[in-house]
Amino acid sequence: MEQRLANSLIMTVNEKKFIENALVSDIRVDGRRPFDYRNLTIRFGSEDGSSEVQLGKTQVLAFVTGQLVQPYRDRPNEGTFAIYTEFSPMADPSFEPGRPGDSAIELGRIVDRGLRESRAVDTESLCVIAGKLVWSIRIDLHIIDNGGNLVDAANIAALAALSTFRRPECTIGGEDGQELTVHPPDVREPLPLIMHHFPVAVTFGFIGKENIVVIDPTHYEEEVMGGSLTATLNTNGDVCAIQKAGGDGVLQSVIMQCLRIASVKAGDITSKIKSAVESYNTQRALRKIKRHNPSSAVSNAAKHNEESTQVNTETKSIQQSSDTNTSASTHDVTNIGSPEQQSKTLKDAVKPKHKKRKKSTSNANAS
Amino acid sequence: MEAKPSNLVDQLVVPGDVILDLSNMANQTLKLSGGLRQDGDSICVMKAGKLRFMKPNKYWVESSQKRYVPSAGDNVLGVVVDTKPENFLVDIKGPALAFLPVLSFEGGTRRNIPKFEVGTLLYVSVVSANPGMNPELSCMDVNGKAAEYGVLKEEGYMFESSTGLARSLLSSPPHPVLEGLGKKLSFEIAVGINGRFWVNALQSSTVILVGNAIQKSESLSLVQQKIYLEKLLKSIQL
Repeated sequence: MEQRLANSLIMTVNEKKFIENALVSDIRVDGRRPFDYRNLTIRFGSEDGSSEVQLGKTQVLAFVTGQLVQPYRDRPNEGTFAIYTEFSPMADPSFEPGRPGDSAIELGRIVDRGLRESRAVDTESLCVIAGKLVWSIRIDLHIIDNGGNLVDAANIAALAALSTFRRPECTIGGEDGQELTVHPPDVREPLPLIMHHFPVAVTFGFIGKENIVVIDPTHYEEEVMGGSLTATLNTNGDVCAIQKAGGDGVLQSVIMQCLRIASVKAGDITSKIKSAVESYNTQRALRKIKRHNPSSAVSNAAKHNEESTQVNTETKSIQQSSDTNTSASTHDVTNIGSPEQQSKTLKDAVKPKHKKRKKSTSNANAS
Repeated sequence: MEAKPSNLVDQLVVPGDVILDLSNMANQTLKLSGGLRQDGDSICVMKAGKLRFMKPNKYWVESSQKRYVPSAGDNVLGVVVDTKPENFLVDIKGPALAFLPVLSFEGGTRRNIPKFEVGTLLYVSVVSANPGMNPELSCMDVNGKAAEYGVLKEEGYMFESSTGLARSLLSSPPHPVLEGLGKKLSFEIAVGINGRFWVNALQSSTVILVGNAIQKSESLSLVQQKIYLEKLLKSIQL
């Protein structure tokens, strides 16, 4: 009981009153105006598909990973797409370890709805063999610090991570046309996901008796506000999703006003994400040039021609170019995510074994 | 015999440093406070920070942190979290909630127990802080007078800071930003050593300006603070 009291945020009467009173004269505690967004910084990790977003004091990490799986039966030629959230008690003592709380589920649902139902990611391009193998994209969102408005920060982090994620290229070949080769990233350049548009979530809070609208509420404002509204829009002005869960009712005209403001903010945020991704991509390209020394570059080029004809040669050529950080990324053929494969050599990965494994995984999925 | 203070005084110390060797010291009393520990014949440091010494014999380690470690005699800002028949439970940013006995007010009797709703902001002093026990607070000074302690006005805003910033706000010479702002603007401020400060003024904008200026000044050097202050004061006049 006492521990729970100590863990939950208890605001003083002074703070609650002050936030409401200050808003009447159009200012907020951190010096912003009601429709100012906090400072947004987007950083990327050393690996593709990881991003770190900082929105004021809020900090969110996103990781995107891909795995080859069997598609859902009703959508045999579409890749799958899932979002997982992780709320650590380090971010906010009110988050309990273990089971996800209401806020964690709501956040996951809002981000999921915005991205999936607006078809922001082209899932059909994730299909490898219709009905048998598709790429399953998983986004992990980690809340590092809760400074309020986790939804927007998590949504931006997910978008940024998705737009830098690259999946290994796959080709189907062999005698029966069913043999699948997953090319390691140093053999063939991995492919980015196809993003149709960027659905950006913008959250509004309604504070006080007069329901004064503020954009991007902080942790403290979230505690005071009577209700909130999250609108997910893209740069074209399409509304992809709206979340208004309980709390104070708002007028239709207010919602329309919010949507107009949100579409402006969504444009700003999208251009920020895009410029951050662009600078990451140029850095990535530069890194690639540095990494190869001339001799290995030649062997890579030679390898490029060979590998499409014979899978076995890959083993050799990869061993040659061991200076090019291959050790982590040499695994071939399906089940990128399965750990037991990592210990085996690439020779194990050629067709016969792979067929067996595929059967066993499909059984596991069926059961 | 007046003992020579440790030669590490006002220096940075880290856990494990031995600041005094008791074996070659004559009979004398030492007072140790936060961050120090007697380990056999030596006085050891338990946390990183600056070693401080006060005559005649008081030693402690000062550092800046987000959490507050209660120690007796500190004046802190607390938030009432719950009311119990004997005590108010008060959050003072420490590892455990602190107890404020309902009778520890000036002239406090069973008849006139004050009523505080959850979220009331209090200026209180820490009476006792022992490991393994909840710290105890009081709204009286040693003479049993209310002095400055008690409920703060239900206006203004409480800002969070590190313990180091709170200490520098209370230090003498006064914090340059606070002093500079005080010359131009009129506002009230109450600083708790537990890393909280409450600002009140006639206008909300003044409160926000003062609070944010103080919070921002923590990461600035003395020279930067002066430049920042000048810029800020100019922007007010416009």
